[in-house]
Amino acid sequence: MEQRIAQAEPRNHPQPKVLRMAPVLRGLIWATIGFVVFDLFTVAVDPYRGNPLVTEPSAVIGWVGGLLGWLLGVGGYEEMILPLFGSPSTWVEPKDWRRYFGLSTNHKVIGIQYLFSSSSIFLIAGLDAMAMRYELMQPSMHFFTYTGQYLTAVGIHGSLMMFGVGTVAMISGLGNYFVPLMIGAKRTVFSRLSGIGHWLLPAGALTLIASPLLGYWDTGWRGYEPLASQDPGGMVYYYLGIFAMTFSTILSAVNLSATIIFHRAKGMTWARLPLFVWGILTVSLLNLIWQPEIEMTFVMALLDKLIPFHFWDALGSPETYLSMFWLFGHPEVYIIVLPAFAMWNEIIPVMAQKNLFARDWAIIGLIFVMMLSGLVWAHHMFTNMRNSEMFPFAFFTEMISIPTGFSFMAAIGTLWKARLRLTTPSLLVLMSLFNFVVGGLTGVYLADPPVNLQVHDTFFVIAHFHYTIIGGMIFTWIASMYYWLPKFSGRMYNETWGKLLAIWIFIGFNGTFGQMFLLGLDGMNRWVPAYPPYLKPMNYEVSLFAFFLGAGFIAHAIHIIWAWRNGPKAPENPWHSRTLEWLTTSPPPENNFDGEVEVVRGFYRYDHDEPSAYLVKDASESQ
Amino acid sequence: MGDAIVFVVIWGILTTLGEIWFRSIRAHSMYYTISNQGSIALSAFNFLSSWLMPIFIFVALMVIYTLIRFRAPNNEPKPSLVQAMRNKWYIFFWVAASFLLNIMFWLHPTSVDLEAMFTNWRQEKKQNPLIVNVTARQWEWIFSYPQYGIKQAVNAQGLDEMELPVNRPVEFFLRSYDPFHTYDVYAGVIHSFWIPAFGIKEDVIPGETRTEFLVPNHVANFKTSPLVRVQCAEVCGPGHPYMEAPVSVVTAKQFAQWIAYQKKLQASGV
Ligand code: HEM
Ligand SMILES: [Cu+2]
Ligand SMILES: [Cu+2]
Repeated sequence: MEQRIAQAEPRNHPQPKVLRMAPVLRGLIWATIGFVVFDLFTVAVDPYRGNPLVTEPSAVIGWVGGLLGWLLGVGGYEEMILPLFGSPSTWVEPKDWRRYFGLSTNHKVIGIQYLFSSSSIFLIAGLDAMAMRYELMQPSMHFFTYTGQYLTAVGIHGSLMMFGVGTVAMISGLGNYFVPLMIGAKRTVFSRLSGIGHWLLPAGALTLIASPLLGYWDTGWRGYEPLASQDPGGMVYYYLGIFAMTFSTILSAVNLSATIIFHRAKGMTWARLPLFVWGILTVSLLNLIWQPEIEMTFVMALLDKLIPFHFWDALGSPETYLSMFWLFGHPEVYIIVLPAFAMWNEIIPVMAQKNLFARDWAIIGLIFVMMLSGLVWAHHMFTNMRNSEMFPFAFFTEMISIPTGFSFMAAIGTLWKARLRLTTPSLLVLMSLFNFVVGGLTGVYLADPPVNLQVHDTFFVIAHFHYTIIGGMIFTWIASMYYWLPKFSGRMYNETWGKLLAIWIFIGFNGTFGQMFLLGLDGMNRWVPAYPPYLKPMNYEVSLFAFFLGAGFIAHAIHIIWAWRNGPKAPENPWHSRTLEWLTTSPPPENNFDGEVEVVRGFYRYDHDEPSAYLVKDASESQ
Repeated sequence: MGDAIVFVVIWGILTTLGEIWFRSIRAHSMYYTISNQGSIALSAFNFLSSWLMPIFIFVALMVIYTLIRFRAPNNEPKPSLVQAMRNKWYIFFWVAASFLLNIMFWLHPTSVDLEAMFTNWRQEKKQNPLIVNVTARQWEWIFSYPQYGIKQAVNAQGLDEMELPVNRPVEFFLRSYDPFHTYDVYAGVIHSFWIPAFGIKEDVIPGETRTEFLVPNHVANFKTSPLVRVQCAEVCGPGHPYMEAPVSVVTAKQFAQWIAYQKKLQASGV
């Protein structure tokens, strides 16, 4: 007995191995080796002689090898595989900036990794959008040389934005960083899983970006069948890239929802749970339901492509794919925007130092949106459904605006007679309210089948969803970055610049997408690099605004990075917020709080001065 | 109380102005339609716009009002003077209004218009409609007129075109397959049959036959308005942007001439 324990001892104190190579670099090398090995193996056993070195099936299997190499290389080998086989983990996390470039188990590091990755994806997908807008300045092809290039650009833009930015920046990024802090937890439940989860995101994004190497695909981000099954090989990397990115989201969702359910501090009852945490919880549940659904659909589509199963062509049922896609696709847009709704009601009360109005309704709104979002998918299919189906889907679609409105009700109720400090975050939240209402109200037109039959798949729809996603989520994301900047870095941004840049993107955004409504009504359809010449003047103008908008986003990024590193020192709790993340130092220490957090009342009351939580420092427990 | 009154008064004024402005531009139409189906869509669009106007102005005004009236004089974190967490009337009004408005939208325009749309279709079917078979292939629209024995209507250059007599009901039969495909005519993809000026859009699905009914009610063509065209609205491969064809709505007499011309073309063609 004693002997065993004695033997087990040294295992827990492994000799730390010094890493010679940066994990990311090692990941890339291992990924290349993995790809080559798996690919050559597939080609070798391929019964069809005379094939090139990379075929569609070998690209798929090679990709699996590449992904495994990548995940092992960035730290998975030491941190996951060795313990799995009973050896001690030899993974040592560096203490300096290098920790951001390898596997980490610290939720704050993971959160920043996610933010960095999805900002980079935002930049790439945004430059892609600029290329598209440049093409659309003229009615004929002048920038892209082949329509397939444009369509691939649209598909990569849409997929990267949805799966690498929309579902990631606020949930996996801000969520990983702030959820544990806001519920008074020292770490997350599945921290290693979450650490490896992040590295799936760049892998997936790179896969999508590399897809044109295998051929221009032209289905857009929805991968419609049966077109997809006759498309060139790039399609395969669309499925695989999204598979990796959504898998990352699923791992985040498992970890975040488990953390919220099991790791709340003492006294953190459901009734006291902060709004943002509610947002992340509802969204994580949605992710757990719908992301696996779309992954299965894509696995089926991938198989259909490699082995012609005829699931979705004239021999099968083309509409089944549409339903399977939108069954996930509609909840996806709520996944993107729910954290933003939650964040409005997180920022407004703090900036106004005013009690949050109708807090329970705001939460009920989030929950009902979550529940209803699975009932409305077919409003994306009014142009191909039976007439009898139009009634129920129009009904549910119109009804979902009721719970959505509750977030507005709480926000406006809080603003009313407030004394709002006009800081950059509050300005951006107000802009977001404005933009989202445009997106939401134009959704009412789309919910009405006769109007939908006219404007569906035109730029009216493009304008509508960019209003909800950029206007709702991206504006709020930027607001949250400013709001939490002092927490991330202990530093403050420049208020004048912040506001100026906010106004900049507001003008750019409305100039770009506001006019797209008119373009759509005037007969401009989607997925076209060339269009009838009468639409040129407005398209030209839209593109100019789009470039202005793109520059505005980059300017925000530069400002935030500057402030993060060189901004003036911020006070401990610059906004006088009451939520738990401000109970600790900025940036927070390794274990978040040096003591046990005890919550004694809700966080959204500003009509008294009692603290909402205490930090119990206990020397015996801290060890 | 004062703020509420001021707010409601401004809201009322702006809404009235907005409605007047909208009424003046909607006389020119938000979009151009020349069919009975298009009129339904257009009137629904206008109806929704005038009801959504006050909501939009409410939120937009609230944002501006906050910026002006509820703005803290400086960035000192001082608690707001009013600290209400609940206002029964406001919540009741908000929830009730959003329910009622949505129910109304569902009844009118949605249900009423769908009802109108479906009835239109039924009556017109009886009145000897013009039948146009539309075949969508990658990447071309092919129009044939079985009642007149015309297999593929084309213009002098051999490009597909569609001509319809004004005020006569049309029934479109939509199919997606490729009659010219070398080995698999059923290898079709999804296209979408869209005539912007008619206010219709219907996906054309391989393996299915879809129908559309409508009555074009103005003489017009691609030259008088570029919206009078068939346009593919669902991405269908690299040729998608070019998958369009001009449409002309003509008088019955011109249509008869055109049919005769098509017959001649067909007889002379190979
Ligand atoms: C920088 C500002 C942006 C501009 C100028 C822009 C512009 C465009 C354009 C021109 C299209 C193609 C329309 C078509 O031909 O069908 C498009 C599609 C799309 N965009 Fe954006 N976009 C921007 C940002 C975003 C963001 C932030 C998101 C989401 C997070 C997003 C999501 C999408 C999606 C999902 C599509 C549909 C792609 C498809 O049809 O496959 N975009 N955008
Ligand atoms: Cu087509
Ligand atoms: Cu098309």
